[in-house]
Amino acid sequence: MIQALLISIVLAQGYAPPRQGQDPLDAEREARVQRIGKLLRCAVCQGVSIADSPASMARAQLDKVRELVVEGKSDDEIFDYFVARYGEWALMEPRKSGVTLGLWVGPLLLLAIGIFLVWMNTSKNAAPAQPAVVASPETEKPAEDEYLAKVRADLEKQ
Amino acid sequence: MTPAPPPRRKTLSTRGNASVSPPPNAPRVNVVGIVVALLVIGGLVFIMARAFGTDPHSVPFMLKGKPAPAFTVKRLDQPGEVSLAQFKGRPVVLNFWATWCGPCKYEQPILDLASQTYKDVAFVGIVFEDTEANTRRYLAETGTPYIHLYDPKSTIAVDFGVSGVPETYFINREGIIVKKVIAPFNSPEEFDKEIAEILQ
Repeated sequence: MIQALLISIVLAQGYAPPRQGQDPLDAEREARVQRIGKLLRCAVCQGVSIADSPASMARAQLDKVRELVVEGKSDDEIFDYFVARYGEWALMEPRKSGVTLGLWVGPLLLLAIGIFLVWMNTSKNAAPAQPAVVASPETEKPAEDEYLAKVRADLEKQ
Repeated sequence: MTPAPPPRRKTLSTRGNASVSPPPNAPRVNVVGIVVALLVIGGLVFIMARAFGTDPHSVPFMLKGKPAPAFTVKRLDQPGEVSLAQFKGRPVVLNFWATWCGPCKYEQPILDLASQTYKDVAFVGIVFEDTEANTRRYLAETGTPYIHLYDPKSTIAVDFGVSGVPETYFINREGIIVKKVIAPFNSPEEFDKEIAEILQ
């Protein structure tokens, strides 16, 4: 037993793990740290937020968020800090202002245009004054005959 | 089909002809539609042309041309503290490294040599995400000749916008970050080329 312990201690020399993460703050502030961390991109793992990533870089960045929270910085000030160093790239959600506002508004705008076009077309087709002109002759034939017959009959009356 | 009735009214004649000749609105060009389509396609081509050829994984470096963030931390190789301000007026080469980082160890001899060559330049190593014991042991083994600092929470690294290790920052005499190199140096010549800019 002691031998095994000694061997493991000897083997662990030089393989000591990198430092442990900072202790979490009190529940309320830590919740804020985690919420902000979810919205910041980890610089090495790229697709993952710093709150979700186990990478040392993410841990360092999350520690920085803790430090800024302790300093009493606002959410926007913390995001600004990371944008100043890693660019807008650091934000998991693009900002709702400037050029990136288009990313938020664009899809809604396209949906609105789509609904408008559909509405335009349906209301046009529904109007009785304009029957389908492009309909094939086969389907048009009986309607045409009926229509023409009625028109002729009306003209005869005059 | 029954033959078309005599064209007593204009509307009747067009209706009658519709089944024989193409619909009358077919050759009309939808100018607005084409312009909108061209704008949309043009916009997409512009975005793609800009994005092609750039590495989507590269982390933007925003501090180029900005003053280097100040720091004061504990020195590892000797007792005492070191702050960036004390190198004012001298070019500074700031290298972020860790003992768990293979490429950092690989470039260490090149930085050691460079620190002997460029006596006027302050060479500073900052430990990233590592324990003090690990780094002390490593430094004792290798005996690197320049200053090494211990940054317990890696705050300096995040302040500088580090995206991984090794990363080397070149700071000029005015304390402005001129550039950073995000790969290990493979040869002294490679390092000489990079440092030239901050020596003036």
